Amino acid sequence: MSTAETEYLQAKADQEYEHGWTTDIESDTVEPGLDEETVRLISAKKDEPEWLLEWRLKAYRYFDRLTDERDFYPDWAHLDYDEPDFQNMSYYSAPKEKAQYDSMDEVPQELLDTFERLGIPLEEQKALTGVAVDAVMDSVSVATTFQEKLEEAGVLFMSFGEAVQEHPDLVRENMGSVVPYTDNLYAALNSAVFSDGSFVYVPEGVTCPMELSTYFRINEQGTGQFERTLIVAEEGSYVSYMEGCTAPMRKENQLHAAVVEIIAEEDAEVKYSTIQNWYPGNPETGEGGVFNLVTKRGICKGDRAKISWTQLETGSAVTQKYPSVILKGDDSVGEFYSVAFTKGHQQADTGTKMTHIGENTKSTIISKGISAGVAENSYRGLVKINEGAENARNFSQCDSLLIGEECGAHTFPYIEVGNPSAKVEHEATTSKVGEDQMFYCHQRGLGEEEALKLIVNGFCKEILAELPMEFAVEAKELLAIELEGSVG
Amino acid sequence: MPATVQEELSTEDRFLQAFEGLSDEAKNGTVEAVQGRRRRAIEQFEALGFPTNQLEAYKYTNVAKALRHEYRIAPAEAAPQASTEEVEALLLPDLDAHVVVTVGGRYSEERSDVGALPNGAFVGSFAEGANAHPDVFDAHYGQYADFESEAGDPEQSAMTALNAAFAQDGLFLYVPEDVALDKPVYALHLPSAGDEPLFAQPRHLFVIEENAEARLIEMRRAPEQREHAPGSFTNAVREAYVGAHGHFDHYIVQDEGAGASQHTTFDAYHETESVFDTLTVTLSGDLVRNNLTITPAGEFCESHLNGLYLGSGEMHVDNRTIVEHAAPDCVSNQLYKGILEDDATGVFNGRVHVHRGSQRINAYQSNKNIVLERSAQIYSKPELEIYADDVECSHGSTTGELDEDAIFYLRSRGIPAERARAMLLGAFARDVVESVRSEPLAAWLTDEVGARYGAGQALGVGS
Repeated sequence: MSTAETEYLQAKADQEYEHGWTTDIESDTVEPGLDEETVRLISAKKDEPEWLLEWRLKAYRYFDRLTDERDFYPDWAHLDYDEPDFQNMSYYSAPKEKAQYDSMDEVPQELLDTFERLGIPLEEQKALTGVAVDAVMDSVSVATTFQEKLEEAGVLFMSFGEAVQEHPDLVRENMGSVVPYTDNLYAALNSAVFSDGSFVYVPEGVTCPMELSTYFRINEQGTGQFERTLIVAEEGSYVSYMEGCTAPMRKENQLHAAVVEIIAEEDAEVKYSTIQNWYPGNPETGEGGVFNLVTKRGICKGDRAKISWTQLETGSAVTQKYPSVILKGDDSVGEFYSVAFTKGHQQADTGTKMTHIGENTKSTIISKGISAGVAENSYRGLVKINEGAENARNFSQCDSLLIGEECGAHTFPYIEVGNPSAKVEHEATTSKVGEDQMFYCHQRGLGEEEALKLIVNGFCKEILAELPMEFAVEAKELLAIELEGSVG
Repeated sequence: MPATVQEELSTEDRFLQAFEGLSDEAKNGTVEAVQGRRRRAIEQFEALGFPTNQLEAYKYTNVAKALRHEYRIAPAEAAPQASTEEVEALLLPDLDAHVVVTVGGRYSEERSDVGALPNGAFVGSFAEGANAHPDVFDAHYGQYADFESEAGDPEQSAMTALNAAFAQDGLFLYVPEDVALDKPVYALHLPSAGDEPLFAQPRHLFVIEENAEARLIEMRRAPEQREHAPGSFTNAVREAYVGAHGHFDHYIVQDEGAGASQHTTFDAYHETESVFDTLTVTLSGDLVRNNLTITPAGEFCESHLNGLYLGSGEMHVDNRTIVEHAAPDCVSNQLYKGILEDDATGVFNGRVHVHRGSQRINAYQSNKNIVLERSAQIYSKPELEIYADDVECSHGSTTGELDEDAIFYLRSRGIPAERARAMLLGAFARDVVESVRSEPLAAWLTDEVGARYGAGQALGVGS
């Protein structure tokens, strides 16, 4: 490896987390610990109907049974971290001034400052991008905009808590139908103690007039955050949902165990994009940092439905998530586009599951992993073609780029074909930045870092192009920051 | 002594009991390297039990489930016999080789025809070899298929441990420094006749020393008059050591017929600038699971792993390969191809593991499957685990049915549908067959594939 590349690595490892600070907002926090009472308390605080409490309790009891077993933590992933102590966490935290804001003027200045420091001024976003932002500060939604415009179209976009109050039938019918609480340990935990999240409902034939976006932040010291997102797209509708996250710097590990469920009916299309840039922990020691253990799954219920996941994962100490699609309807389509960038002591085990059930179903998986420092980056994915999935088609490509001698990049694809008419292709490569590519760039007068940036950008281009325009800018910016300091 | 197993015992207990019932001869009849490990091995097996599909490495293959029969576990007192005619019928035409024969997992002195060997080389029985070369056994036996090693995959060591507890006989191939075998070794493994299902545990050791050369062709066949008793199970363990600058070609054909199952473990270890080439062809069997682990431990090694599996009936064939790139500047290349019909299941799980510091590795892995009938199933899991940056590693996996356009093209040229299908399947298998460096074997394989898919000699492919 050339000197410049080594220095680039060094610089990258030295780079401090940009968004590391804590906002001082008075919080209503529940004492650490988890039992049935905690669940009841959360439910009561949120003034939830009886059926939801019952559902939470069922989930809690399942979780409780699971944790009675020995070795109950899922440990099959290529990850190595201290398992979170569920009794040592606080399960509820909400900003106290919980007002329903009619205009931006009423939002506390502190919160507005928060977004400013993140580079996401709410006002500006509103004006420039036409994006409705449902800002989740810790767990409770505090600012919702563009509500009226959405209402006109008949689109429901609100916090999960509000949806439970205002549209209980819709929530009750759909929540847990894609990710049941029995799915895995963290899904069970989330189902028992979820604090808030987002709810989207797009009625039949409606194309959502704007990109929906939510900014999640983890704020309260020692508080796990358990969002729950539910997106229901009725027949012939379209919605694009964006999620982006940053978190303040802190010492102890923070657990983030979200659940995202997407339901796409006949001819509906849902596009879900994520930028994740939470605190990755101390780059020298790996201390601290967020545990991002998330369950995301969508179902193409009707024929010709389409669900597309796009993600740019650059943060968190530990990332484990497999945004999945169940392709139930005939001719339905599932897509997964991912860039996972790990450096320092970061670890990521991410990928997707495509389950083909309907006929002529198609899935595409493009995954790019970049690993630097002493990071570990794994792609793990399942392509399952059920017996009845006539003429199913899958194409997967997983490329890994290694920067530095001490990182790891791994690929674990699972391919299960139960129908011979299926065509399933999987391809993966692992390599470092090609010397010939570098040479070509040098020869054209590009310096070491410029060349590396260019090559890495090219490596990820396919994925970034899948992001909505508003997000693509932020994504590019984020990658550029990650790559900065590489000038030799 | 042949322990008759009782119904109420668990499968594992039957083996533990059989172990305790082993004769002194069976326990102590060989060299220290072998007998000294038995006790620890059975304890390890007791702790692990037979692999079930709860284990990630056995996710798609439940070995424990295939072991419901009441086996004759303990080794037979005398080697069962096969007739000269039987053996002759199963030799490869035009292959001039040192011939060795095992029957029911025991070496058959009478049927083997080793002939003259270069100075110092040994081709023959494992038991005899152990006594003739105790130092070689000390240095190599149990070193690669090491059930005690923590570096090995604990998920995989149960069957190795079980074998190490019972191992009595098999093949031993020893080629000392600077010696090249002039002819290939042809090893024919036959089942023992009889109605009682046998749980055979052959153990093979191949030691190719520095700058030495050997080629081994192993055939597991079950001729019509000598079919396996239904449910027969073979738990074979092979170890290979290839010294610096050495060259070892190893080919194995598994064709035991329906009703017989086998679990094979093959651990190969090779040193600087050596070449190790292996091919596994599975033509029949009930449940076939092959664990192949290759460790190129020195620089500039070349490892080739190829496989061809033709599944039909209820056959379940599972190839698991691991390449441990523990040294820099090596090349490994694997190509596994499968054709599945009827209710057959094909599993491929390959792993390339590039250790930290093993720079400049080129590793390729490819698994391609053709599924001919809807009831057949394919599970493919190619894995790359890489801890060094200056590498080029890739893998690919494809599964699909025969290309209709290609068949249409051939038919438009006046070739009947059946023949078109056979041509395409023959062509599909061909690049694996062509990797074989022994012409008689390559020709035999081409004929087998051709005959299987209905083209016979008229195929015109590969002949």
